[in-house]
Amino acid sequence: MMFLATFHWGWLLAALLLGFAMGWIAVVHRGHGVSKRLARWLAALAAACLAAALARVVPGRFGYWLDLGLALFAAYLIGCGIGSLLRDRVLPGPANAD
Amino acid sequence: MRGLGRWSSKWWPGTIPLAVIWALAAWTSTTPLETELGNRASAALKDILLDKSRVSVSGRDVTLAADAFSEDGRRSAVAAIEAVPGVRLVNDETGLIPEARPFVWSAERDVVRLTLTGSSPLPASKAKLMEAARADLGGVEVVDQTGLSRGAPPRFDEAALLLLDQVARLKDGKITISDNKVSLAGMARELGGREAIAAALKNLPEGFSVASNEIKAPPYIFQANKDPVAQTLTLTGNVPDNNLHGAIVAAAGRKFFSEKVVDNLKASLGAPAGFASAVMPALAALSRLSTGTLVVSDREVKLSGDALYDSAAAQLRASLIKDFPQGWQLKPDISVKPAAAPVDPTVCQQLFSELLAKGTIRFESGRSSLDPDSAGLLDHLTEIALRCPATNIEVAGHTDADGDNATNLALSEKRAQAVVDYLVKAGLSASRFTAIGYGSTQPVATNDTDEGKARNRRIEFVVKEQS
Repeated sequence: MMFLATFHWGWLLAALLLGFAMGWIAVVHRGHGVSKRLARWLAALAAACLAAALARVVPGRFGYWLDLGLALFAAYLIGCGIGSLLRDRVLPGPANAD
Repeated sequence: MRGLGRWSSKWWPGTIPLAVIWALAAWTSTTPLETELGNRASAALKDILLDKSRVSVSGRDVTLAADAFSEDGRRSAVAAIEAVPGVRLVNDETGLIPEARPFVWSAERDVVRLTLTGSSPLPASKAKLMEAARADLGGVEVVDQTGLSRGAPPRFDEAALLLLDQVARLKDGKITISDNKVSLAGMARELGGREAIAAALKNLPEGFSVASNEIKAPPYIFQANKDPVAQTLTLTGNVPDNNLHGAIVAAAGRKFFSEKVVDNLKASLGAPAGFASAVMPALAALSRLSTGTLVVSDREVKLSGDALYDSAAAQLRASLIKDFPQGWQLKPDISVKPAAAPVDPTVCQQLFSELLAKGTIRFESGRSSLDPDSAGLLDHLTEIALRCPATNIEVAGHTDADGDNATNLALSEKRAQAVVDYLVKAGLSASRFTAIGYGSTQPVATNDTDEGKARNRRIEFVVKEQS
């Protein structure tokens, strides 16, 4: 994992920043969110992908791409979380009343 | 924190650019990542001995195909790659190099080249043997056709190196190691090469044994040629050592009383066992021939020539066969010299005197037994006696002045009688001979010196016409 982090730090940073931006926006975004039902399905899908990666069942390049995708997705989620929390703390706005 | 769940439902639009980033990252990083992992894996294998090793990388999975020289080597190769950072899986396609049963290695030499065939246990030993072969056989082309196999006996390298040294001693031949049995065949380059190889084989490493040693050596030749015209005895060929060399030349000097000994012998190893005990009697037999050649080739002795009279030929054949050592082959080709023309008593006396001037009949010290070295001289005396059948011969014994007169008188008579007995045994009529002992009463030289005494100890032949 350390190897992946050092080898792809640029891409991971990009995913983190993208997540941060998305998280920042999400707090004041007025559009539709993902329904709970779909969110559960998506979470199950992510968990399945994670399980597949940990079990190393996907061979060769596809296995690598899966690992890479999950790493980027994790960085994105972390970015989103940080972004949303910061936005919430720094700018308490009308959107919070929603 | 409560809001996080709510906000997260709106994070999804970012996944579209995230997917783009993912695709770009996968697109650009896959090949460099594979190259990097491939280099690291190869570096990790650098110190592990493998044959035909091939590393291929797909994503983070490394496939290792190789032939290892042992099960341990195989496992440590796989472990080394698993330990490379970033490697996710190792596809183990390693195997072991084939096992040779039996493990055979051989070195075959002909005039221009040495060919190594069979199996070598490791690339290092292959190289070492090749290098040793080049060093041992300077100037000979060395061809290595060995493959790599498992199953070599312990201390194989040591044994093979020792055997390569032996190949250098062969003119042509083949040395084979089969498991821990060594077999050798071929022809040694020099006399003594076979013995040197046999001696070196005693140093084979523990566990190895010689299954067959069929190294041949060039024939071991000894020759003696008696030429009555040039009055020489020419010795050529080989003798085992300088002691025997001296002994043979000395014996030849005693036995061949009228011939000059030309000594062209040289000492060399590789004589068959019993050399001395075969050559000495054969040389004694040659001394009793008027002309002849002795050829000793390995264990075969060829004696050809002319005996001086009939019964001498028969005696020679019989005594040679009796005296010969075991395992030797005797091929006598002894004919009888045609009888010389009869001569009158005066000439006969002259011939006896001339002959006895050249050689002295010897006896064992203080006794009356004839020295076997005098057989040649006695045969020549017999031949002369045969040429003058109408004479009586007085065989007179003389001693030096040492000891008391009575003893000397008795000894001289006994010695004269021994000579008469020899002549009678050779087929001459006993009635023609009288043995007389004179003791020290008729000296021909001073008894004050050893030389003079030696001249006084003598047998004389006096020819008398039959009345």
